[in-house]
Amino acid sequence: MNPMTSNPMIESYFAALETQLGDLPRLKRDEVVRELRAHLFDRLEQITVPTDDDCRTVLKAMGTPQEIARQYRLELLLSRSAWKISPWSMLRTLFRWTLTGIQGYIVFVLALLGYTVGASFYITALLKPFFPHNVGVFVGDEGLNLARFPEPPPGTEILGSYYVPVAVFLGFLFTLVTTLAIRFVVRRFGRLKQKVGGMAATA
Amino acid sequence: MALLRKEPKAEPTEKWEAQLRKGCLELAILACLWDKRLYGLEILRGLEQNSNLVLAEGTVYPILARLKEDGLLQSEWVEADAGHPRKYYWLTASGRQKVVSMAQFWNSFAANLNSLLKPVLNGKGRS
Repeated sequence: MNPMTSNPMIESYFAALETQLGDLPRLKRDEVVRELRAHLFDRLEQITVPTDDDCRTVLKAMGTPQEIARQYRLELLLSRSAWKISPWSMLRTLFRWTLTGIQGYIVFVLALLGYTVGASFYITALLKPFFPHNVGVFVGDEGLNLARFPEPPPGTEILGSYYVPVAVFLGFLFTLVTTLAIRFVVRRFGRLKQKVGGMAATA
Repeated sequence: MALLRKEPKAEPTEKWEAQLRKGCLELAILACLWDKRLYGLEILRGLEQNSNLVLAEGTVYPILARLKEDGLLQSEWVEADAGHPRKYYWLTASGRQKVVSMAQFWNSFAANLNSLLKPVLNGKGRS
């Protein structure tokens, strides 16, 4: 079987599949490729001495990488649990998008901003118990300040220890809203993008 | 682009058949796994023997992936004598429940439709 594993036809098929599956999480993508390779080897094993033609036939019966990737995308989007909603995977999906044009880039920057604000609230909530005089909501001449080191920000702190639950809530809110917004945008325009991409590829 | 245009548009009946196949494939896969653990190619063989549901073999795997995400299937890589591991699938408890209710639905659905189709297939009722 070994000569077949390094067959350029097979390798280019799986390379294409991996590229097409680009928006799947790495682990899932590896799993998919591994499983389809196992399928291919099982098919080829039925033939005593597989030729290039046999190989072509087996690959053809499997369907094109585009078709398989399309099915995966379709099926896993249909599944309730398939959509990862962690900020990390969200940003990764978006980052791939930024490479395709200015819209993607703007969405990515806005998403990054949303998550950064969310994370800042979480971090300050964590810091508040340790640095009660440096962290909080300070209202003064400079307007609104959340934290400053080593000197406390100017103005009066208005929340006291209530800052922690408030900041956690706001952090959660920002993260959630950003995630939902990204999901909406990707669902809305992701499809459009695919269509445009598909047309560009065949043009 | 030119390639796309040249491709003939699918006949309405072909499209209908494709949709029907797709809808039944899920049930057929679950049914294949009713009393045994199987890997992808074995499932495909089961489907080939009993139906003409599968057009592109590779597209069974995305469906298996979703059934697993939905908690109807469980899977495990098993080292085989073949020299490479194979991914085996089996029904979970909720998968078993699901396939039973799907099979019951299919049964009454098909029975009703068949009785509706009887005059069409017998060619009666019209001269």
